[in-house]
Amino acid sequence: MTEVTVPTGLWDTGDEAAISAWLYADGDAVAAGAVIAEIMVEKSSFELVAPASGTLAILVAAEIPVVQGQTVARIA
Amino acid sequence: MSGAPNIGSGASADTDAARGVSAGMASPGAASGAADSRGGANRSDRLWMYATMVKSRHFEALIKPAYFEGKSPVFNMAKGPIPGEMHLSDGQEPCAVGVCAHLRARDTVTATHRPHHVAIAKGVDLNAMAAEIFGKASGLSGGRGGHMHLFDARVNFACSGIIAQGLGPAVGAALAAKLRGEDHVAVAFLGEGAANQGAFHEALNLASVWKVPAVFVIEDNSYGISVAKRDCTAVERNSDRAAAYAMPGHFVPGNDADAVHAAAGAAIARARRGEGPSLIEIETCRLEGHFMGDAEGYRPEGEVERLKAADPIPAYRARLLDAGFEAAELDKAEAEARAAVDAAFAAARAAAYPDPEEAFAHVFA
Amino acid sequence: MSSPENIPSETSAAESIASAGAGTPAATARPARRLTIARAIAEAIGQEMGRDSDVLVMGEDIAKLGGVFGTTTGLLDRFGAERVRDTPISETAFIGAAVGLAASGMKPVVELMFVDFFGVCMDAIYNLAAKQSYFSGGNVTCPMVLMTSVGGGYGDAGQHSQTLYATFGHLPGLKVVIPSNAYDAKGLMLAAIRDPNPVIFMYHKALQGMGWLGTVQRSITDAPEGDYVVPLGKAKVAREGGDVTLVGLGLSVHQALDAAERLVGDGASAEVIDLVSIAPLDREAVRASVRKTGRLLVVDDDYLSYGVGAEVIASVCEAGIALRAAPQRIAFPDIPVPFTPVMEHFVLPNADKIVAAARAMMEMTSHD
Repeated sequence: MTEVTVPTGLWDTGDEAAISAWLYADGDAVAAGAVIAEIMVEKSSFELVAPASGTLAILVAAEIPVVQGQTVARIA
Repeated sequence: MSGAPNIGSGASADTDAARGVSAGMASPGAASGAADSRGGANRSDRLWMYATMVKSRHFEALIKPAYFEGKSPVFNMAKGPIPGEMHLSDGQEPCAVGVCAHLRARDTVTATHRPHHVAIAKGVDLNAMAAEIFGKASGLSGGRGGHMHLFDARVNFACSGIIAQGLGPAVGAALAAKLRGEDHVAVAFLGEGAANQGAFHEALNLASVWKVPAVFVIEDNSYGISVAKRDCTAVERNSDRAAAYAMPGHFVPGNDADAVHAAAGAAIARARRGEGPSLIEIETCRLEGHFMGDAEGYRPEGEVERLKAADPIPAYRARLLDAGFEAAELDKAEAEARAAVDAAFAAARAAAYPDPEEAFAHVFA
Repeated sequence: MSSPENIPSETSAAESIASAGAGTPAATARPARRLTIARAIAEAIGQEMGRDSDVLVMGEDIAKLGGVFGTTTGLLDRFGAERVRDTPISETAFIGAAVGLAASGMKPVVELMFVDFFGVCMDAIYNLAAKQSYFSGGNVTCPMVLMTSVGGGYGDAGQHSQTLYATFGHLPGLKVVIPSNAYDAKGLMLAAIRDPNPVIFMYHKALQGMGWLGTVQRSITDAPEGDYVVPLGKAKVAREGGDVTLVGLGLSVHQALDAAERLVGDGASAEVIDLVSIAPLDREAVRASVRKTGRLLVVDDDYLSYGVGAEVIASVCEAGIALRAAPQRIAFPDIPVPFTPVMEHFVLPNADKIVAAARAMMEMTSHD
């Protein structure tokens, strides 16, 4: 089981971030390296990439504020 | 032709131009008092320019948080009290005030997708302008136009969002003045990117062929969204392009309201004398993104900080203090300017939205 | 923790859009690869540029920025500035240049940032690109793609919110397509670049998947990594049904699908046709559907008069198909797009209007 965490070091920790869209549904199969969500930080967009292959379990919905390093999903 | 100051334009008596320096009044107009001993803008013009720049900047400062309301945590452009795009004019205020100091209500101004500083300097009704941006029934067009499509017939101001398309109408307004034997002028504001658009070249050529009282003012803020001027413009200076259209070209460096005032004074006086159009190119800067939400990844590291350190408004205040203005006088003008904006925003917030059926009105006159 | 509410029910609809009528490979063979339409477009252009050195892409802010709407993300880094060009704000020049590049055998992909800007460059499109093959008796083709953003609903007002499907569909010599989902977006772009004709590739801003323009989850679909095409000129059945045919394109396909879900509650089954292609218009696909249902409702966010709705309805009526109700069209009214949201959203097509119109056609009394 692998945790999917919000990337660190790509933006100022003070900036508000949220997932703008999950590209996959809870329970979907995802491949390692696939872009599985887009994170918006203030005005910029970042990719959330699957660190492993498996079944996606989404823990945090879109449009909920998240912080760097936070676990937002699991892949099993 | 360099930007030599024009002393005593000799314009005809102008009954509708206010000459006060209170921030709430219209621009001094072409018949403003004698130039000061340095040959530049006179005292009342300079105070008006300073107060109007402060007013303009404060307007943008109130727009910003209002624009971002409802657009959090995800920046969704459709949300909040001000949806859609927003193009702020922070940094470009000297361009607007230096030109509009010479203009009357009867002079026409066309502006762009980044219009607020120009509208304010032209004397557009501040309350109706704020209401329009908030989409309220009391807005300039009852909410139909929004921030990029502000029209105020009382002061002959119009703006729209298609690059360079304000130039043709300025030529037409200038021609109307000429045909009527009036000495009004038309000024078209444009960005440096617009100087590469076909309409720019056609309008300048036509203005010269018809010898109309038009002035074209390029606000060079270095960027057309993400593309730097040097990467898309064949010439170093757009003012050099004036020669291709047989009109004077003024290059105004340094984002300096007094220098803009001098160049604009010369161009506008020339136009009023019936001698034809001019092109002015002003080096200015864009302190914010192209539109609110622009991540500005294309700007070099440190550039925005450098530009903010050279903010034209505090620099102008320092110059006025050096020139003998009293701090208290400047503070008073600033306070009045800000109060007018605060009142306009409060009124806009409180104003009612239009009846949706009003969408169908005014399609035809 | 419960799963995000908006995801599960739209997944099956997304897959149905992606697979219906298209002969896609079975999704079970590999994990789905979900893309937004923006990513699908960029991927298609990048793939074709990798395969064919005659392909180049240009437009305002498409190089360094990757396109204001994300259509060219990553291409500058991969292919360099000779093939990925930021242009000056000179539409008539660079689109005219694209026509010349195409005449010389290259395959330009050009972006017109907003379809609303066509006013400054239409000659190069409708008098040059569209007529190059005709005037040359087929000897000189115009294999260019003009991609352009369309649509409003987010407060961008009268000069940045138009769709203009009818304007472009009306003029001979142009192919015009608009994808409703990522699978179609990638396949259509690959087909468009390979097509020897000028193709206007419209993408709806509400469907791009750019966070700042909102997200329509159903448009984010599986798109295979490899090569495939979605043929130009072919409509798709996005949802099968027997009681009424709802015809949409781009965003209105999603509104029609939302309406169809709600009509199930009335015991009605709506068939949804995704036109995909404005020109050539797949009239036969619509006729086949209406022969089955006998009821036709067209939904389009372009101006009403002389529009897509008119053309589709005329195409069905002149075929003499038996109808159980008068055909209807829902469109944007004949007014400039107003800025203020209370007006804009009042006049835009939406699922509520579709449901109401469909019920009236099926002579149902209204619920709620």
